Amino acid sequence: MKKILIIDDEPIIRTSCERTLAPKGYAVTSAASGAEGLALLEKEPFSVVLLDFKMPDMDGMEVLKKIQASSSSAKVIIITGYSNVDTAVRALRSGAYNYIEKPFTPDKILSAVKEAIDDLEEK
Amino acid sequence: MNKIFGNPDRSLVAKLIIAIGVLMVIVSFIFWYAILQKQQQDIRSIAVKYGDSFLAFIKQSTHYSMLTLDSAKTQEAVEHLSSPDVIKEVNIYDHGGTIHFSSNEERISSTVVKTSLACTACHEDPEKSSALLNERMRWNVTKDPQGVSSLSLVSVIENEKDCYTARCHVHPQDQKIIGFIKADFSLGLLDVALHKQKEALSLYVAIFVIIVSLFVGFIIYTMITRPIRVLIAGMERIAGGDLDHSVPITSDDEMGVLARSFNAMIKDLKEARDQREKWTQTLEEEVARKTEEIRKTHASLVQTEKLASLGRMAAGVAHEINNPLTGVITFAHLLRDRFPDKSQEVDDLNVIIEQSERCSKIISNLLTFARATPSEKGSCDINEVLSRTVFMLKNQEKFHHIKFDVDMDEAQFIVFGDASQFQQIFLNMFINAADAMEKRGKITVASRRVKEKGKDFVEIEFSDEGCGIKEEDMSKLFEPFFTTKPIGKGTGLGLSVSHGIVKHFGGTLKVESTVGKGTSFFVRLPLSETHQ
Repeated sequence: MKKILIIDDEPIIRTSCERTLAPKGYAVTSAASGAEGLALLEKEPFSVVLLDFKMPDMDGMEVLKKIQASSSSAKVIIITGYSNVDTAVRALRSGAYNYIEKPFTPDKILSAVKEAIDDLEEK
Repeated sequence: MNKIFGNPDRSLVAKLIIAIGVLMVIVSFIFWYAILQKQQQDIRSIAVKYGDSFLAFIKQSTHYSMLTLDSAKTQEAVEHLSSPDVIKEVNIYDHGGTIHFSSNEERISSTVVKTSLACTACHEDPEKSSALLNERMRWNVTKDPQGVSSLSLVSVIENEKDCYTARCHVHPQDQKIIGFIKADFSLGLLDVALHKQKEALSLYVAIFVIIVSLFVGFIIYTMITRPIRVLIAGMERIAGGDLDHSVPITSDDEMGVLARSFNAMIKDLKEARDQREKWTQTLEEEVARKTEEIRKTHASLVQTEKLASLGRMAAGVAHEINNPLTGVITFAHLLRDRFPDKSQEVDDLNVIIEQSERCSKIISNLLTFARATPSEKGSCDINEVLSRTVFMLKNQEKFHHIKFDVDMDEAQFIVFGDASQFQQIFLNMFINAADAMEKRGKITVASRRVKEKGKDFVEIEFSDEGCGIKEEDMSKLFEPFFTTKPIGKGTGLGLSVSHGIVKHFGGTLKVESTVGKGTSFFVRLPLSETHQ
């Protein structure tokens, strides 16, 4: 079972992702802050990380850099507001796998996650 | 007459006439006086001549009676020859001054005083008998208390052969002067004639002065005063603002030249005034036009700024709305999956999903044009911003069927500004192009260096193969809220905000379009001077 980590300070986003992904056979874990997410990543490996870029405690880019620097091989998908395409591009260049704009539909999350896992498995 | 002379203080003619009149009076008086003097002199010399003849006649008349010592006869002749009206008195003296015969019998035997004409006619000093005058003043003119002048004339009776050879032997031969005869003639009649002549002459002179003065005055009036008055009237009209007036030219003399020059001057003045009025009007129009331009620019700036701050506020709100909207969409989807297809519940949930997605689109449009991120100014590599934007858009669903034809100059185009704002402009250009082509076709992007007014610019071209822009929409293209997109698709802010940003950084935004063929937008941004 593929493990997926959601890092977002918004409970509704976390819940939405959990409720979308869990029925499709993914093991979903949630973290309400960047620090909490990083701590979870150290404890166990995840296939995909859904990372919100706008959080009060830690900037999404910072979290992304820390994940890249760690031993984790998880694919990071950035969740961003539409207008932050600029930061999304920066994130992609910093090693993020993909990005999803808010608000998203369950299909978008599922296809993005599936794409990432397929890519991971190919390697 | 008043018209001619006017006020002597102010009238040139009056002054001239007075001056000429005074001169003529003085000259005429001198002539008048000279003529009268000469006439008097002539009359007197004639009178003296007649007087001399008369004295010679007396001498002859009494010659015989003298030689015969017939005193009674001599006295009778003297009395007989004098007449009270003309010859007032006739006296015959001996050389000693004693009167021997007189028309006035009372005076016989009296002796004349030595200062009287009888003595002074011959003697310079009557006391010295030898002191004789070279020119004998034998006559003089006196006036009696009634103002009647009279001529006194003296004639010497010389010793002749008949006298010293006469039997009486009264006079020895060596005596040269026997005596003398003196007569007083009244010049009353001549006085009257002279006076009448004086009066006539005075009258003639006065008439002459008046006629000459009037004639000169009239000449001056017609030749100088009248044309000058016409000129003055013309000047007054012109001073009053009537530049259409001109002075009639009546002669070829200096006055005519003056009138002609005056008319020429007025013509020039009128032309200058017309020119000035034209300038003033042009200036006023120019000022009004500029004022209107400034007002419009200001209004549009205010509008843009208002919209920008409104947008910033809306963007902040929109970001927050995205989160609950994600929840609504997700749970609507999850709920829909639980109902069988084509059920009423699925239809209802589809409405919720559609409307939520519509909300999402509205928010995304709003966020595109009013970014919440603060402006960060610095040096931006335009080619880099452009390729980044293209790279990002290629992944977007909207651009899946659009081909990008990128032709960027290899040079680095460094522009001072905010990269995210430039990206916003480029994004907007691409979105408009995609909308115009209904998401299908080719977008040409090119960057190049151009020169404008001696400054270097980078020009970025965005060309599409879309529907083009109608002529009537061209002027409204950059107005806020102007959009040709369907309701809910466009905010009408894209080009307005883009234009504002380009202008803010000293650039220009131009558009060329052909309906049915496509549209090209040209963004020009000034190159940073250190990187030119």
